[in-house]
Amino acid sequence: MDSTCTCGEKHGKTQSNLFLPKEAKIVRVEAPTENERHFTLKLADGSPMEFEPGQILEVGLFGFGEIPLGFASSPTRKNTFDIVIRGVGRVSKALNALKKGDSLFLRGPLGKGFDLSKLRGRDVLIIAGGIGLCPTRSLIQYILDRRSEFKRFILFYGSRDPKQQLFLEDLAEWRKSKDVEYHETVDKGDPSWKGNVGVITRLFGKTNIDPGTRAALCGPPIMFKFVIAELDKLGIPRENVFVDLERRMKCGVGKCGHCQINDKYVCTDGPVFSFAEIQGLEEAV
Amino acid sequence: MSAHFIKESDFKAFVSALIKAKPVYGPTAKRSKFVFSRLESPEQLRLDYDVTLLPPKKLFFPTSQDLVRFDGDKFEACVQPEEKILFGVHFYDVKALDMTDLLFREKNPDWNYLAHRECTTLVASSIQAVAPRAFWGSVGREVQPKGHDAFLTKIQGGFVYEPRTPKGEALLKHGAFGKASDEQVAEARKANDDIKKRCPQELKKPSASIARKVRAAFDDETLWDKLAEDCFSCGSCNTVCPTCYCFDVQDVWNVDQKSGARTRTWDACLTREFAEVSLGAGAHENFRESRGERFRHRIMRKAVYLNEKLGGPACVGCGRCSSACTSDIADPVRVIEQIVKA
Repeated sequence: MDSTCTCGEKHGKTQSNLFLPKEAKIVRVEAPTENERHFTLKLADGSPMEFEPGQILEVGLFGFGEIPLGFASSPTRKNTFDIVIRGVGRVSKALNALKKGDSLFLRGPLGKGFDLSKLRGRDVLIIAGGIGLCPTRSLIQYILDRRSEFKRFILFYGSRDPKQQLFLEDLAEWRKSKDVEYHETVDKGDPSWKGNVGVITRLFGKTNIDPGTRAALCGPPIMFKFVIAELDKLGIPRENVFVDLERRMKCGVGKCGHCQINDKYVCTDGPVFSFAEIQGLEEAV
Repeated sequence: MSAHFIKESDFKAFVSALIKAKPVYGPTAKRSKFVFSRLESPEQLRLDYDVTLLPPKKLFFPTSQDLVRFDGDKFEACVQPEEKILFGVHFYDVKALDMTDLLFREKNPDWNYLAHRECTTLVASSIQAVAPRAFWGSVGREVQPKGHDAFLTKIQGGFVYEPRTPKGEALLKHGAFGKASDEQVAEARKANDDIKKRCPQELKKPSASIARKVRAAFDDETLWDKLAEDCFSCGSCNTVCPTCYCFDVQDVWNVDQKSGARTRTWDACLTREFAEVSLGAGAHENFRESRGERFRHRIMRKAVYLNEKLGGPACVGCGRCSSACTSDIADPVRVIEQIVKA
């Protein structure tokens, strides 16, 4: 629709409307768990999706609404990009019913991702809890694809139980890979589970971590508190700890107010923050 | 730009001519209160209003606004601004509009608001009656009203009209204006200065010192819980606030179940679920769980967080929140007094 005003001026005519999405086609759908769907997507107009690990998207379906999500794949994998949706509400359940070839509607990339310049040339420790593996997978793949740019690479992954583990093919590969020191645990095992059992902080006992390491975290709010206490014990300065936060978001462009932590907007100032930046903000973790 | 004068007896004809030229919105009576609404006749205009129930932001940021319309998989933006005159806005609401202009424009300009704002001629007017909970005389003195196209002041026998932009100047042709005398301009100046001393409530300290004290009280959980003890979490304080602009976005189907609109509606950070996310399996995480935390967030937004960006507090002293609050705990003057005392 033309935005020409009755006064003849074309207010904002040259600006794109902040709320107009782009259409994306579903190339592949997988069901890693009962509640989660892993979508591989391509923009419908064939243009590449350019983004940084840690950035977010508003993913929507007309008639249902939009939800904020992180990219679950690395921009180094050019042809397609991934998202993972947990079906918890009206919008996410509607999205999860979509099939290969269907369309969904995206706005993004939005926000600030991981500052790669601060990770390059360093030891990197990624700690992912539960569905927090999805946005960190973007960074994990990035590091694996450009392995020589980073030093030691350690990955901790914790899940509620073995059935909740995501990206099973990736996990199988990471367990064998020499490019990543992969440690995993589940809060509660089952008879088939031979690995670690217990909360994610137990994994800190499995390896030595240098205080010069850069840490990246994503997981449930409760995980942050305990993991940060462990990182403090290791002597990793808080400006070298990067947290990827989740909040309620409606606009994704710094207007609607839902994602605010004190005076910061998670959607535009984050979702990735250095912990030093937000540690004084009581509402942060 | 020079000042002009219009006689009381010529004023109705001026407003009539404006109404004929363009849609005009202004303060009108609604039972014992006032609202901004579209004028059909000059008699409806009540420049003697004290405060309106809702601030004029509703004309640019409607309570419900379609952002995107869809039909199946087809969709389009729907900014359709209407050229209009917003007439008779008090200076505190002018300040508030200037703030929301900046906030909708910064970083990612939101043309769903800005387009409506840009094609409006904003005529401010002097305050003739003071609302019972007003404190605009003492809040954010360092922030001058701007962004209006003209300022109209009631004086003896008529009005002084001072255009500030070409848009404001353009309205002159609709009325029998003459040049205002120096005495008339001085009388207008005095009227606008004097009224500021007539607010029933007053902030005793300058904004910067209030901001420091409020910021310093951030961690005083007991204080915030006490201040919010009687809060119903209804969000009325947000809804009537001229500087609040939080919103929700929901998709609404038309009856055909095929087409519809992605619509934004006003939202309120005092409501319980405002910062809540679903974790699945019925579990939730609420990042501002307690009433005290939500109450603190509002006061921080008004007195501290935005000050640097806006040059002063994001409160203009209209007193609407004080009047709207069911349990009468929202009044910024009393809240700030209690924080400063604590």
